[in-house]
Amino acid sequence: MAGSGSAHLREPDRVALRVQDLVVEFRGGVQAVSGVSFDVARGETLGIVGESGCGKSSTARALVQLPPPRSGSVRLDGVELTGLKGEALRRTRRRLQMIFQDPISSLNPRRRVRDIVAEGPRLWGADDSEVDEILEAVGLDPATAATRRAHEFSGGQCQRISIARALVLRPEVVICDEPVSALDVSVQAQILALLEELKERYRLTLVFIAHDLAVVKNVSDRILVMYLGKTCELAPGAELIDRPAHPYTRALLAAVPGGNRTSETLISGEPPSPVSPPSGCRFRTRCPLATERCAAEEPVMRQVGEGHFAACHYPLL
Amino acid sequence: MRRHHTRRQFTTVLAVSWIVLVILAAITADLLPLPAYDETLTGPASEGPTLAHPLGTDALGRDVASRVAYGARVSLLVGIGAVLLGLAIGAPLGILAGYRRKLTDAVIMAVNDIALAFPALVFALAVVAFAGASLRNVLIVLGVLGVPAWTRLIRGTTMAFSRREFVLAARLLGARDRRILVREILPNVAVPAASYAFIGMAVVIVAEGSLAFLGLSVQAPTPTWGGLINEGRPMLDTAPHITLAPSVVMFLTVLSFNLVGDRLRARTDVRQSGLEPVRQAPPAAAPSVHVVRQDTLLQVEEMRTHFETERGLVRAVDGVSFTLERGKTLAIVGESGSGKSMLIRSILGLLPGSGVIRSGSVYLDGENLTSYTPQEMRQVLGPRMGTVFQDPMTALNPVRTIGAQVTEPLRVHLGLDRKQARAEAIRLLAQVGLPDPVRALKRYPHELSGGMRQRVTIAMALSCDPDVLFADEPTTALDVTIQDQVLRLIHRLRQERHLAVVLVSHDLAVVRQWADEVIVMYAGKVVERGATAEIFSRTRMPYTEALLQAVPKLGDPPHHRLRVITGRPPDLAALPPGCAFQPRCPYAQERCALEAPPLEEDCACWYPLNVRESHGR
Repeated sequence: MAGSGSAHLREPDRVALRVQDLVVEFRGGVQAVSGVSFDVARGETLGIVGESGCGKSSTARALVQLPPPRSGSVRLDGVELTGLKGEALRRTRRRLQMIFQDPISSLNPRRRVRDIVAEGPRLWGADDSEVDEILEAVGLDPATAATRRAHEFSGGQCQRISIARALVLRPEVVICDEPVSALDVSVQAQILALLEELKERYRLTLVFIAHDLAVVKNVSDRILVMYLGKTCELAPGAELIDRPAHPYTRALLAAVPGGNRTSETLISGEPPSPVSPPSGCRFRTRCPLATERCAAEEPVMRQVGEGHFAACHYPLL
Repeated sequence: MRRHHTRRQFTTVLAVSWIVLVILAAITADLLPLPAYDETLTGPASEGPTLAHPLGTDALGRDVASRVAYGARVSLLVGIGAVLLGLAIGAPLGILAGYRRKLTDAVIMAVNDIALAFPALVFALAVVAFAGASLRNVLIVLGVLGVPAWTRLIRGTTMAFSRREFVLAARLLGARDRRILVREILPNVAVPAASYAFIGMAVVIVAEGSLAFLGLSVQAPTPTWGGLINEGRPMLDTAPHITLAPSVVMFLTVLSFNLVGDRLRARTDVRQSGLEPVRQAPPAAAPSVHVVRQDTLLQVEEMRTHFETERGLVRAVDGVSFTLERGKTLAIVGESGSGKSMLIRSILGLLPGSGVIRSGSVYLDGENLTSYTPQEMRQVLGPRMGTVFQDPMTALNPVRTIGAQVTEPLRVHLGLDRKQARAEAIRLLAQVGLPDPVRALKRYPHELSGGMRQRVTIAMALSCDPDVLFADEPTTALDVTIQDQVLRLIHRLRQERHLAVVLVSHDLAVVRQWADEVIVMYAGKVVERGATAEIFSRTRMPYTEALLQAVPKLGDPPHHRLRVITGRPPDLAALPPGCAFQPRCPYAQERCALEAPPLEEDCACWYPLNVRESHGR
């Protein structure tokens, strides 16, 4: 699972975002992301799942170069972002926008909601005629937004504001980092439905990061599973859930309440520390199928089915 | 809360008025019908307050009121000037350090720390002694002395806000540093800075007073408050008003600045909880019409918990009853604000001491716990009722070892000696699946992962062999594989120890798998309850149905349209008329908005779904 490799990447011309061998390092040399590759086709939603510490949020930040990755390539419509500096980066980066987990921390408490959403157009000298349209599209009343500040809104409404802010510049790719994990079930459904609706309406390309497999499956066309800074498996949503090829994916599915729990599928223990990751496959310390080869040799992503890739020496398919 | 609130507002208004009054007096001292501050023999010397001299006269027959008013000029000028000077130097340094971080921060903060290590007042004394005691020098010295504190404060606030996601979002939109600082960070730093400025002014006024008292501030004949106090000192026996007048004025001014600063700081917290307790209300005597069942382990009758808040009465828990037997798991589900956690806290008696109105009864093996004193309750919590909460860090003391914390209840409640308690702790930790329990005893909570910490709190909850385990969202903060491990652990322990478990959760999938019975709560009330399988397969309450359909399921095809419940949970202080769910309910009819449906046959709905023919109402 400690998968590297790029066999799963597609032809560059259909692809809006292409990430190759991404490495993110924290101070002190600890790697949060160790050689991750994936791509997202135009109009597609790529879901990224994994448990805490798998590097999914670090990947999201590295995509927008905040902070830039240690190494690797991030191409947006063929333009390499990692080398860009200053003004050029500022211009290109605005085509990538993000939605965050914490609805409160995502919005400046001292600004009025309409100003928050209008910030993008103002920065680029555009008139803010589109702001009201976007506010209505996300289900907010522009008149209320003009006078109120974010703390007067509920968590779900704050996420709507964040979505409006992200969409107002008409970005090519929107990265959603756990956008519904802080919300109640009923509000979560509202936001997921809204994202689907806006995706149609504005022809968005989405990277949807979450820890909840069912949520990710609901919105994604393809799903990428990460573990301890590496990619494990990539497949179309239904395929991944129905026919997992990687033992870790299978374990994740088994752990979901109501999952197929047998001594073979369930895993015990906790992810090892990223400070000293295991040799070879990073999942081997918890993997029921691990052999000596898994410690010696790192598996790379290889095809196991139609559009289905896994980084495992002993895939289940 | 209302009364408390208005009292606080009143004192703030008083404080602001006093500050305005003192400032006005200082500005218009020349225009006021007062003798000049240095005009001697305006009346008899050292005379107490009279009509002509409301604050009396001093030893030279000068008018004290006039001298205090003129003295305010020095105090305020130094107070306000020094703070502005400190802010002018400290704020840019702090913002630079907090925003740039890394090397810039390291250098600025290293210099700052050295500056802070200087004995401030000694430095002030030395400089004034050398450079001369003039208004300008005093102001500059006190201003510069404030710089390190300003730098530190502004840096901390800047850092906290520049880590917020809205700053990241602004950068993604293409905002440059300057705009981010001006638009996103400065407005947020301004409020705590203003609050600190008022407190800083109070500090400087006192410092200037001290310098003046020592004769190291502005020299005579210009009056200063500290100087006036010093002058009056020899005559304290015969003419106390000469000292008292400036002292009282200075005291009130310093107090007012502090009060305003404090009030501003309280405002920094934009999101104030609506659940602030107000006053103690005597527990309403519950009419015990219910039958106390001796054979039932846990019986909760008509539990009500209301809070008096600024916005009105919040009915957090509004008449909840249930029973629970040994060896069963009861799940309480609901969204935030449904009252599920408050219900648990009410049962355990863990509510804030004031402003809460709690009624209803809790029987454990037939004993009425609600009649227990806090001391008696302490003998129940732990030995008979164990608790596990969402965040294990709130249950664990960060500065004590796991060993100390796990052995404590064993020694207090079970009276084990040190050695026995240690052995028992090791056994408990092993039982909850902590690897290497012997070593774990010596570790601190922060050295363990979230899942391991939760295992420790479970071990602590079970240490005194309770009858009921209350688990409030025990796995919400955990990853899915760890969640599964922890829930399996709770289930296993339930079997082994024949426990009853009350599981509070918002996660319906968790509930479906682990609970025997389910209570669905909405707006503080039970809206449906029953055996788990029944609730999930034959849902009757529209809210339960909506909740079930709103959850994404693994079996659904991708892009499956989820059921969207419009609107959001109601404001508990302003509930809609009739059924609380009616404004969001697709099946609602006229009657629903008029009358609240009672909980009948385990469902509170006028038009329940899936009702068997024989049950037809």
